[in-house]
Amino acid sequence: ASPPASSGLLPLLSPSCGFRCVEPMEEVEKIEEGNNDGTLEGVAAVRVLVVDDSPVDRRMVEGLLKKSGAMFQVTSVDSGKKAMEVLGLSEDKTKSPVVGDQKVDIILTDYCMPEMTGYDLLKAVKIIRLFSKTKSSCVCACVCVQIRCRAIGAEDFIIKPLQTNDVLRLRSYARTGPPSSSPKAGTKRKMTIELMAESGGGGGGSERRRPRLTGLAMA
Amino acid sequence: MDPDKLTKVYAEFALDVFRQGFLDNQYVQLQQLQDESEPQFVLQTATLFLEDSEKLLNELCGILDDKEVDFEKLVARVRKLTDSSASIGARRVKNVCMDFLNCCEKVSKEGCVDCLKQVREEYLLVKRKLESLFKLEKQILAVGGSLPAWLQ
Repeated sequence: ASPPASSGLLPLLSPSCGFRCVEPMEEVEKIEEGNNDGTLEGVAAVRVLVVDDSPVDRRMVEGLLKKSGAMFQVTSVDSGKKAMEVLGLSEDKTKSPVVGDQKVDIILTDYCMPEMTGYDLLKAVKIIRLFSKTKSSCVCACVCVQIRCRAIGAEDFIIKPLQTNDVLRLRSYARTGPPSSSPKAGTKRKMTIELMAESGGGGGGSERRRPRLTGLAMA
Repeated sequence: MDPDKLTKVYAEFALDVFRQGFLDNQYVQLQQLQDESEPQFVLQTATLFLEDSEKLLNELCGILDDKEVDFEKLVARVRKLTDSSASIGARRVKNVCMDFLNCCEKVSKEGCVDCLKQVREEYLLVKRKLESLFKLEKQILAVGGSLPAWLQ
């Protein structure tokens, strides 16, 4: 059986070797299993705090998380300092991070940021929550980063730019800890990304076919 | 102009942009994040990229103008540009940024000045491509045409 939801860290590696850390924050309330058809009835949204000083990357992550429907509730800030404020950690506190009665399930932070790196942010969060969480496992993509991240209990690594299957992993970290090989029914679902909806009036009949951009190579 | 003809022009232009590596599959991912609830997502994100890149390029220029080049500062900004160009799918910009990072590692001011020039050139090229794409899209919609679907 997999361990209960724990505070793990998931650094995201940038292609230029920075990385992001993701930390599932709190034990989540008991989740009702979703239906096999992949709907999300009765499942609470995962609250994600996105921390990135790049407006482009912030927007991208927001877009990706929002596209997954009701799965995520996103707050984004542009610095570690602001993240600490959102988490209620800017002053000395040993309580669990809360914003009013709103908690954050995952912190998704870039590593390379001025003043306070993602690593600094997570260290600060970790230290403050020293007594509350269990250990977590660690999976790394880059040796140099692995050592640093193990020290603060890294969970997993995701390389920028974020992709849709990374989004699914995020969700599973918030719910059940590290993704297991045999997920519970309803916790693993196939995400279908719909193609861009046909826009514009297009008064023509249904016989008129849209030209397709075929032959686009996968990056 | 005939909407179908315009759409064909657009499709051919887009394919060419991809073939030449100005944009890659990540840009297609962006398209797929656009829907009724986010109808301007691609345009907004691309605009953010263009504005942010201009800012970063100017900062890079400033850093390299200094007598004592702060390579740490340089690296931080080039990393940002690498990340954002990767996020939006501006592959050629990303690639020259990676070269730039290598130059920074060698702590070569001359090399970096050269790299910056290349990055700026690639940036201006992809900027023109993006602007053309958006202009064509606008034209197609204005004449009641429909945009082709972006498939992987």
